[in-house]
Amino acid sequence: MLVIRSERIRHMLGTALPFAIMPALVLLLPVGIQAQYYALVSFLMVVLALLLFLSGFERRELGTRRMILVSVMTALSVIGRLLPLIKPITALTILSALYLGKEAGFLVGALSAVLSNFIMGQGPWTPFQMLAWGLIGLFAGICAKPLLRSRLLLYGYGLLSGAAYSMLLDVWTTVWTYKEFTLHEYAAALATAVPYTVLYAVSNLLFLMIFTKPIGDKLSRIRKKYGL
Amino acid sequence: MRTYDAMNPLAVAVQLLLTACITVFCMEPVLLVLSLCAAMAFFFQRNGMGHRGFYALALGLPLLFMLLNPLWNQHGTSVLFFINNRAVTKEALYFGAVTGIRLAAVLYWFRSFSDLMTSDKLFYLLRFLSPKLALIFSMAVRNLALFRQQMHRIQNAQKALGLYREKHLIDDVRGGIRVFSVLISWALENGIITASSMAARGYGTGKRTSCTNYCWKRQDVTLLLLSLLFSGTAIVLIARGYLERQFYPVIQPPVHGAGWYTAVTAYAALALLPLLHEGKEALIWYRLRSSI
Repeated sequence: MLVIRSERIRHMLGTALPFAIMPALVLLLPVGIQAQYYALVSFLMVVLALLLFLSGFERRELGTRRMILVSVMTALSVIGRLLPLIKPITALTILSALYLGKEAGFLVGALSAVLSNFIMGQGPWTPFQMLAWGLIGLFAGICAKPLLRSRLLLYGYGLLSGAAYSMLLDVWTTVWTYKEFTLHEYAAALATAVPYTVLYAVSNLLFLMIFTKPIGDKLSRIRKKYGL
Repeated sequence: MRTYDAMNPLAVAVQLLLTACITVFCMEPVLLVLSLCAAMAFFFQRNGMGHRGFYALALGLPLLFMLLNPLWNQHGTSVLFFINNRAVTKEALYFGAVTGIRLAAVLYWFRSFSDLMTSDKLFYLLRFLSPKLALIFSMAVRNLALFRQQMHRIQNAQKALGLYREKHLIDDVRGGIRVFSVLISWALENGIITASSMAARGYGTGKRTSCTNYCWKRQDVTLLLLSLLFSGTAIVLIARGYLERQFYPVIQPPVHGAGWYTAVTAYAALALLPLLHEGKEALIWYRLRSSI
């Protein structure tokens, strides 16, 4: 339905949307559009961005094996939940992105969000979670080389992505509860979410420390063995 | 009898999502109360008196927001009283209550959405977007159950090997990590085997056709068209500002014009569609039974 046929346009959109168009719109919106529609527009934008990215995926050659591995990693990241709040989704998304590529990273992140929300409850926040985790995977896939080389950098990325995840979702919390986005209310939302932010960041770090070696070894072995 | 969850998933999803989304983006108290009542009635119709805690949410959330909002919100002119030199205004209380009602209504709608839209229906919807993605998603859902079983098997094997002590936290955690690690190796290899067997059966060689359990009957089309019509009317009128409300500095009384009434009526019709459908089906069923 939403498949874009021209490869060049698709590629352009695939990179331009998350990196240029989305942030620019987020910054420009309060200036151009009346505050009361900010929530609606930002929600629609997130949904559209997801649709565009995911539909472009249909035409992309990912290969059957890689496709199956994406579904395997998605299920693993949902099942690896130790406690309700401590989830290895971010860590496994990052690791999938490092070894299976940036598309796989985005997909594992976005699909894990939907899947884990079957257990935790779907809501208007689902698209935001999908985008947040998807982008974490996408960035990790793009920066795969330096992240694979230095363990310290990887841990830093884990901490940062935990904080970024929380901050992106707080944008939604603010917009949703107050119908408009002001820095003052955003700061209040951020302040109330500090324990969660810390929890996310620390649990990401923890999971990366535990999982990077074993899962990394396994994924790179699979990659080598089957020539992905 | 065709209950609401047996309808075409696309029609149901459109109705529920539009109802919830309009609730998210509107601040008119009448509309929000309507939305909450319709959502609760639908939830009650499906679940009866179970889920007491969830019903408490509908009362608790507005109260909580009403009490909390004045604490960080100092807008509004009609001061009721002071707490710690901070003015508690009528407007802030009112705004808090409205926000709470809105959140409770949205939570109720999405609860119904989660209940109705099981993963197989979501899979059906996803197919419109991308068959490949839908396949990945459905396999992930399937893997979830498969991996749970496999995890139990691994755990039992580990226990049989004597790798667990009696109740010991650190041991439990280390054991959990070990089991997960074993599971990952198994899952990846298993995935590759699945992929190979898919390739052997010709996946990706030609155009794929697919089978679906859901069809379009006249009811489904009617439901879809009605939801689009009602929500379209409501959205256009809301966007034109007929339901615009100002809470600060003073609560503005709503302008009860033709636009206001049309928007609220359209929304009420939209929100009541599931209940109307269930009512109609129950009536037909009752008639059929009594004519035997």
